[in-house]
Amino acid sequence: MEKENKAKNRREFLQSGVRLSLALALGSVSGLALSKAIKDDYVWQIDPFECTQCGRCATECVMNPSAVKCVHAYDLCGYCDLCGGYLKPDSNARTTAAENQLCPTAAIERKFIEEPYFEYHINEDLCIGCAKCVKGCTSFGNGSLHLQIIHDICLNCNDCSIARRCPSNAIKRVKASEAYNIKGDWSKPTT
Amino acid sequence: MNTKKTINTILLVISFIGLVFIFWWLRNDPTRSFKISEAGADNRGTADSAQVVNIGEIFREYETTYTELSETWPRFRGSDFDNISKSPVKLIDKFPAEGPKILWSVELGEGHSGAAIYNGLAYVLDYDEEKRADMLRCFSVVDGKEMWARGYSLNIKRNHGMSRTIPAVTDDYILTMGPMCHVMCLERETANLLWGLDVAKEYESEIPLWYTGQCPLIDDGKAIIATGGKALMVAIDCATGEKLWETPNPNNWLMSHSSVMPYTFGGRKMYVYSAIGGMVGIAADGDDAGKILWETPAWNHSVVAPSPVCMPDGKIFMTAGYGAGSMMLQLSENDNTYTIEPLYEYAPKDGLACEQQTAIFWNNHLFGILPKDGGALRNQMVCVSPSDTRKIIWSSGKEVRFGLGPYFMADGKLFILSDDGTLTIAKPGIDSYIQIDQVKVIENAHDAWAPFALANGYLIMRDSKTMVCIDLNV
Repeated sequence: MEKENKAKNRREFLQSGVRLSLALALGSVSGLALSKAIKDDYVWQIDPFECTQCGRCATECVMNPSAVKCVHAYDLCGYCDLCGGYLKPDSNARTTAAENQLCPTAAIERKFIEEPYFEYHINEDLCIGCAKCVKGCTSFGNGSLHLQIIHDICLNCNDCSIARRCPSNAIKRVKASEAYNIKGDWSKPTT
Repeated sequence: MNTKKTINTILLVISFIGLVFIFWWLRNDPTRSFKISEAGADNRGTADSAQVVNIGEIFREYETTYTELSETWPRFRGSDFDNISKSPVKLIDKFPAEGPKILWSVELGEGHSGAAIYNGLAYVLDYDEEKRADMLRCFSVVDGKEMWARGYSLNIKRNHGMSRTIPAVTDDYILTMGPMCHVMCLERETANLLWGLDVAKEYESEIPLWYTGQCPLIDDGKAIIATGGKALMVAIDCATGEKLWETPNPNNWLMSHSSVMPYTFGGRKMYVYSAIGGMVGIAADGDDAGKILWETPAWNHSVVAPSPVCMPDGKIFMTAGYGAGSMMLQLSENDNTYTIEPLYEYAPKDGLACEQQTAIFWNNHLFGILPKDGGALRNQMVCVSPSDTRKIIWSSGKEVRFGLGPYFMADGKLFILSDDGTLTIAKPGIDSYIQIDQVKVIENAHDAWAPFALANGYLIMRDSKTMVCIDLNV
């Protein structure tokens, strides 16, 4: 009788232990999933209002070509024929000929919409993040062209090599849930 | 024997491989995957077809009485073309604590056209976006009452503003030039139409980017218009609309945003103009009126908005934006023959340069605001000597930057308008920049670029949508 009780106790103990382990495992997995869901990681991003278009984004990133690309805020663009971001200053003509284009990789595509408007589209695969177009657009236009770190290319290094060299400290960590600072939608927070 | 055969075989194989390699090397084009960027990839369309415009067809009268004033600001850059008011009226040094005394404000179509003032009336060329018409509007300076408007139906699309020119007003006439190069001449007293001219149609002129920026000129009863196209410049009798002379344009120079500046040098009066293609001096009077006295292709940029600054010693300062920079030229006269030589040219970061506004020549010095590509001094007001405009005497400092807005002098003060509608009063001097006061005049202003107009202490200024008149009287 005593032996039977002992065997029963052992079985119950093992059963309880398994149940507890399962509950603990389930709780841990759920907790981990929940923490993943609610935790907001940080990623690197450029403040376009701090950027001075120094050109280092093209050369300092560990990725080649750089994870920094030009993006276009269409609602800010003037759709000009003479676009300071597309054409070299004092270009020979306002055409798509290579000698007139400012972009060294012809990453900006220009399309006639209707007189007098032209639309400009960035080919991300060709863009190297040199910021030449951003400088031209900022100097002579509305500043609709600006640089952003593209997160499906960026490795999100702990020690971002561009941030270390950025002369204006324009590259900062931002919440992953708000990973882009696109001009027009995003304005510089007032401090 | 076998050894020799083996060597020959090896040599033959090596030669064959070498030949294959040379063939491959000659055939291989490492750039074959490159895409050639050629003109035309944007599928640029043709210009819109010319519209039939009946210049002066619309007239609306609203008021007939107004307060007459004694002073005038009759055209772009004022009576003496120097942007310096000679009025003895004393102006405030500091704005009142409660803010500037705004007498009136009026909503305008998007643009950068400034006002001209004549004896208590302000004339502004405005585009009526609702009625699709280019309208010359006349306001009473003291109270802002709209007196009348005359214009013509015209379809224009937004392109960084529409109207951007200032009328020219004399005792007898009002002359305007609209965004699409339509010239309208009215009798000033009655606002009756005297004549109109479609410059783009008549002279096959190319309308400048972002529409016409050239402010028309009335000189000795003649309308002076730099047309580009089939003629470089024309003079028209304001009373009759008769063409008095046309200057040929063999080089096919184009119309710029720059305005024609009268200049007397070496005993001759001439009209100095910076076209797209080069600069020219055209005889203003005498038997050879309309003849080119001198010309140079040395100053040639795709966009030129500032006008020539002509100095007494024959120096002519030219500047332009979009990376063009500046050039100092020297005009010389010998036995009625004129020659022009560039003295030096430089990038906008290397000296005085302006993108839209024309520099002020005062006290034998030049004053202007550098453009955004002006290097470390970008957007700062600077002072230089005409002897070398690359040497900055003073700048307003990195904490005091402006934009593309206007600046002028009145009552010994320098007034500067920032893009956001902030008006600054500074003390003009050749030793340093001394700021006296600053106030926001137009709330939520955007692109406040139109030149000022001042008469009897009433200052008219605007941003892209709103024009205001402020009382600067002490």
